[in-house]
Amino acid sequence: MTLVSDDVFRLFLTVLTGGFAGAWTIHDVVLIARLRGANRRDPLVRDKLFGCAMGIVIGMIGVIGTLRFNGVL
Amino acid sequence: MVSPWNPANAVTASRFLTLPLLWWAIDHGYHQYATLFILICGVLDKLDGLVARLFDCRSAFGEMFDAITDGLCYGCGLILVAAYGWAPVVPVVFVIGLGLINTGLRFVYIRRAGRTVNYKSYAMERIVAYTGYLIGFATGRMQVDFFYWAFVPVMLVIVMHDAKRMLVDPVPAGAAGMAGTAGTERGAR
Repeated sequence: MTLVSDDVFRLFLTVLTGGFAGAWTIHDVVLIARLRGANRRDPLVRDKLFGCAMGIVIGMIGVIGTLRFNGVL
Repeated sequence: MVSPWNPANAVTASRFLTLPLLWWAIDHGYHQYATLFILICGVLDKLDGLVARLFDCRSAFGEMFDAITDGLCYGCGLILVAAYGWAPVVPVVFVIGLGLINTGLRFVYIRRAGRTVNYKSYAMERIVAYTGYLIGFATGRMQVDFFYWAFVPVMLVIVMHDAKRMLVDPVPAGAAGMAGTAGTERGAR
């Protein structure tokens, strides 16, 4: 029992994962850039920097996985 | 004092309704339906914070309830996909084990803070979203091994980082405020 064709489902997964991961990566890169001049001794700033770095890693995993899913990598 | 019987917590609780549906779909081999149900669970996770702000019903209980619901829903989802052979068992065991360790550390942090504080970090916010996606990768048969094995080291690093903050670093005076700032969409509830 399916909701849509396999091709549409594949496209849906690609957009949902690749699109979100790509946007997430860009978002966290921008956040890190904005935090460049911030006081790194502040625990909140350090938490944000670490979170953004992890966000970029996770976003890249999402993009790479999506490319692999579509046979690009 | 906000009543625990509020619209935001109702939305959070409604996420549990997706679990039997997810189980039904996985049991019948309906990959697309299973993906739909875990997607609904994820959307409701984002929606509860919005409802909390809209109805101004934020509370420490709501924040904890949301975190517990995250753990139970995603934990059950991971167990289901692994049990039915849709996801590799070893990384799922790692993920659930690290999740349990993180939960234990949160209780230690609460004791250190001396009040109910839902520890949150920017990195943990991101890994929770990834966890929801993990179930979707299994139901959608999307690069399952790649995504599951890539998840393990990332989560390990984040849990280690947060363990230091929870166990070693001084608890900030406004612990709820500081830890809560990471979870802007629902963290302050």
